[in-house]
Amino acid sequence: MKKMLCLFLVVMMVALLGTGCGGQESTPAEQDSTVKVGFVYVGPVGDGGWTDAHNEGKLYMEEQLQVETVIKENVPEGPECEKVINDMIDQGCNIIFATSFGFMDYAEKAANNHPDVKILHCSGYKSSENMNNYFGRMYESRYLSGIVAGMRTEANKIGYVAAYEIPEVIRGLNAFTLGVRSVNPEAVVKVKWTHTWYDPAKEKEAAKALLAEGVDVIAQHQDTTGPQQAAEESGVWSIGYNTDMSESAPTAYMTSPIWHWGPYYVSQVKAVMDGTWKSEAFLGNLKDGTVDLVPLTENAPEGAQEAVEKAKAEILSGENKIFTGPLKDNTGELRVKEGITMTDEELFGTEFMWLVEGVEGKVE
Amino acid sequence: MFRLVKRSEISRKKSIVIRLLAILLAFTAAGILLLTLDLNPLEVYASMIKGAFGSAYRVREVVIKTVPLVITSLGIAIAFKMLFWNIGADGQILMGAFAASYVALNYGDLPRFLLLLLMFVAGALGGGLWALIPGFFRAQWRTNETIITLMMNYVALKWITYLQYGPWKDPQAMGFPKIPNFTANAVLPKLFGVHVGWLIMLLLIVIIHVFLNHTKKGYEIAVLGESENTALYAGMNVKNTIVSAIFLSGALCGIAGMIEASAVSNTLSVEVSGGVGYTAIITTWLGALKPLVILLVSLLFAALLQGGSFIQTAHGIPESTALLLQGMILFFVLGSEFFIRYRVILRKE
Amino acid sequence: MMADIAMEGITKTFGKVVANKNIDLQVKYGEIHALLGENGAGKSTLVNVLSGIYIPDSGSVYIDGKETRLNSPRIAAEVGIGMIHQHFKLVENMNARENILLGNKKGLLLQKEKLNGEIVALSERFGLKINPDQKVYDMTVGEKQKLEIMKVLFRGANILILDEPTAVLTPQETENLFEIIQKMKDEGCAVIFITHKMNEVMMIADRITVLRKGETVKTLTKEETSPQELAELMVGHKVDLSIKRPKTEKGRVLLEVKDLQAVNEEGIKTLRGISFKLATREILGVAGLAGNGQKELCEALAGLYPITGGSIEYLGESLVGKSPREISSLGISMSFVPEDRLGMGLVAAMDMVDNFILKDYYKQKGMFVDRKQAREKARQAIKKLDISTPGINNSIRELSGGNIQKVLLARELNSNPSLLITAYPVRGLDINVSYKIYDLINEEKEKGVAILYVGEDLDVLLELCDRIMVLCHGEVMGILDADKAGKEELGLLMSGEKTDKLGD
Repeated sequence: MKKMLCLFLVVMMVALLGTGCGGQESTPAEQDSTVKVGFVYVGPVGDGGWTDAHNEGKLYMEEQLQVETVIKENVPEGPECEKVINDMIDQGCNIIFATSFGFMDYAEKAANNHPDVKILHCSGYKSSENMNNYFGRMYESRYLSGIVAGMRTEANKIGYVAAYEIPEVIRGLNAFTLGVRSVNPEAVVKVKWTHTWYDPAKEKEAAKALLAEGVDVIAQHQDTTGPQQAAEESGVWSIGYNTDMSESAPTAYMTSPIWHWGPYYVSQVKAVMDGTWKSEAFLGNLKDGTVDLVPLTENAPEGAQEAVEKAKAEILSGENKIFTGPLKDNTGELRVKEGITMTDEELFGTEFMWLVEGVEGKVE
Repeated sequence: MFRLVKRSEISRKKSIVIRLLAILLAFTAAGILLLTLDLNPLEVYASMIKGAFGSAYRVREVVIKTVPLVITSLGIAIAFKMLFWNIGADGQILMGAFAASYVALNYGDLPRFLLLLLMFVAGALGGGLWALIPGFFRAQWRTNETIITLMMNYVALKWITYLQYGPWKDPQAMGFPKIPNFTANAVLPKLFGVHVGWLIMLLLIVIIHVFLNHTKKGYEIAVLGESENTALYAGMNVKNTIVSAIFLSGALCGIAGMIEASAVSNTLSVEVSGGVGYTAIITTWLGALKPLVILLVSLLFAALLQGGSFIQTAHGIPESTALLLQGMILFFVLGSEFFIRYRVILRKE
Repeated sequence: MMADIAMEGITKTFGKVVANKNIDLQVKYGEIHALLGENGAGKSTLVNVLSGIYIPDSGSVYIDGKETRLNSPRIAAEVGIGMIHQHFKLVENMNARENILLGNKKGLLLQKEKLNGEIVALSERFGLKINPDQKVYDMTVGEKQKLEIMKVLFRGANILILDEPTAVLTPQETENLFEIIQKMKDEGCAVIFITHKMNEVMMIADRITVLRKGETVKTLTKEETSPQELAELMVGHKVDLSIKRPKTEKGRVLLEVKDLQAVNEEGIKTLRGISFKLATREILGVAGLAGNGQKELCEALAGLYPITGGSIEYLGESLVGKSPREISSLGISMSFVPEDRLGMGLVAAMDMVDNFILKDYYKQKGMFVDRKQAREKARQAIKKLDISTPGINNSIRELSGGNIQKVLLARELNSNPSLLITAYPVRGLDINVSYKIYDLINEEKEKGVAILYVGEDLDVLLELCDRIMVLCHGEVMGILDADKAGKEELGLLMSGEKTDKLGD
């Protein structure tokens, strides 16, 4: 009896695997005329942060183009990601937005295995015929938010809860610090690494640790509002990220650098529909509205709005390129000489792993 | 009031009826949940099945999930048969993956077959030696293995985390804490669209079935599991049997770790076990410690996971709801095991 | 006219097993009523119904002519029913008074002196000698039993149920217990006394109800019956109640034990210098109250218990420090039927075949186990010993106690032992199976095997064995010739009085 069962199972499994071999690429082909878009999220929708920002973009795109979409939340940055992408392709998706850095290698594998599917990866650096990477000059917004923080702080100590020691985060932290010191050269930015994108409790803990060190403004580079809550509870000030976080911290929150992915998503999906899509890296900026700063709340210091407006105008006009020398790192070594501006290759390359003067902390 | 009475024995037919009833109840209860979300339960269930078996790709995904579950369950079954409560399969998977990765990362240029063979042996040794620690403590000082194996999971996890953030961090990853990918030679090849882990799994099922039922060691493990006194009475070397069975148990988990690292992750990470070490405890138990039943149970379990994942994207069901659905089904199935062992008697005062 | 305590049409099933089937029982105050029956006849189930532990599927209980629903032990206690279990339910590290008070509502408010007074009064009324301040762990088995009885009486019980109370007692203690029971009767209590020993029934009971296979066979008065009739009613057919003792010429001395010493895990001495000789064609009985070194002695001989001194010689070869397999490799065929059948001798979850290979599977060549031979042996054993089992592949657990013991004996005798150690081989078994086992042991003796027989029933020891060694606290109190010794003498030795006799 049991032997029969076992035999049956084995035969069935081999048969299924066998048939799988034959009729492999049948599913996506039928969807040729239309598109179906998959979004792979690292956190849950409703994180009030990074994933929410992407989901807002998705909703905007849906509204504009009336296309079918699927999403998958809480995808770990590991092999599971490749499976999720494959699942989506199996279900007929032909455009995939993989919205976290750690998805890069798996997105690349999936792209190689499915040349007819377009995979757009956010915040990485790998690309191929059917995979591109897209991102934005968030540092521009972060610089502006730094101005607000620098004007607000009385202790001249600002806390910064950061996810990982990777160029994206370091770039933002440096720009923020430059923004702070453009209005308050005395202020320092203390950084804490959490090694997580989405762990509200852990991120809140990190913010509390910074508060214990005497900071009176909390800024962050995470996907959640955890640090904001810590600031709210301690009655100090905060700067968010990704979305308008005024609801999470009504008396602490001043502003957030935010993403507006909608227009880019519309343009990409439309290009695929029109058959004009090409694998091109994309870097959104203040000018095209991909990155922005939420209008300052009443918690922001007096005069901050004007200072931000002025700096924004300078950035838009190209007068202020932010990473222009002389720039020293926080060990005192001169990294960018007077009059030199860092190129995009330097800004977005793998070598930008140092912290500017004014940051208290180190890259491990 | 009611009270519980232990059933003396239960006919096979009755136990099957109870189990089926439990599954039916599970789907009914979960259906109510779905109805409150304005979803048609029948449609959702149909698409769960479709999601698990609806296309060749999905079947392959189910098989990929089944492989580590079965191999780990086999390992756990050996330990459980001896009443050694090995809760440490997760850690043993990680340490097996770690040992295999050490070979893969350092000798990635070796010929493919040789390299994979070395990784296989390393994986088995890694998991086996890791399990040997609580095994030795138990044999020597009768320590409680449940706690020690559980704690050692965290040690293993932290060790991999340390490697990932420290000495093994990929310098090419721009600071992102990940261990470099294996060379192509260190990745298990595919057969019928699925990595050959499934072949290893089938082979191991046969081997472990024979081992448990037809070898002296298997017999000794079974006797020892029933009564240590009887084992001593029969003249068995109890310590030796404990230690070697535990090594084998851990080695199987380590092999599962090697397969996952090589074929699925192509690298080592803390995600490599994916909680299989814990899930496998359930499948081992539901599989009644019998290799062939474990295969069946694991296959169904993997289908449940795959189907649950499918409905999230297909019906836009939030992940938490899909997990709740899986949890409810599991709750009823596990709950039914209780009613197979006990009978409820209502009594009138 | 209904009796004072009447159970009518009691039926109780456990799954498929019908433990009680339409049983009637009528007991009067001032009567000692024996409940007689083999294992599984339904005695314990019936009294558990009466004490509110089991709820019957159907049937009624009348106390003093009133129908009473005994839905819990508490309700049973309220109407005056008290049960003294076979296994005592006492808290070891409390004293007698505290144990009496446990679970007693009024207890907390009672004064110590007043309480002692009550205890003393009860002691005198029933002849129960108890020291209220003595801790339970300091008590002998007999004293613990008295305390159990006291507990029940203290709660005002006048219907007393004693479940096999003599199984754990010395002959002297048994006599004492019978006196107490007699006092209870004189005080107007109803006493229900469960046993399967005919002689005790004849000694003390007024009336006897015999149960067989869950049904009432008959209720009779002592005067109108005989042990022979009772045994036949119990078993359902004619039985021969005498044990043969085949006259054999004692052979050469096979086993010589000198000054054997051992300690247990707590470091307490369990064997204190045991010496004896055992010859072929001889059965040496070992008597003693449970837990006086019998188990340790058997296990030490079998190589399972570490000894700290003395010698064990088998035809001059020392067995000290040797494991069972080492003993076997010396070519010594020793069989050991341990007291704990399912916890040591057999594997309950395994079938007959797997149990048959337990002691010699390792002698097979290679890493695989071949069960072909064992299957054949199992089939033969079923035929030879009349083992009733659904098949050789059913787990031992499913068998009845008697059949389990037959399986164990069959395996141990299959190896053609020259030395056979059996510990309580008939404990808990039916008359039929017990006599079958006595026959088997005698058969082995005639074949020339040297046999060590650890037993508890003194009548059986006296009839079956050639000599009887009495142990107390791990010491040999004396070795008597069975045909010259009497129960009285054995009883004295069991309670610790030494003699120099060593038997012939």
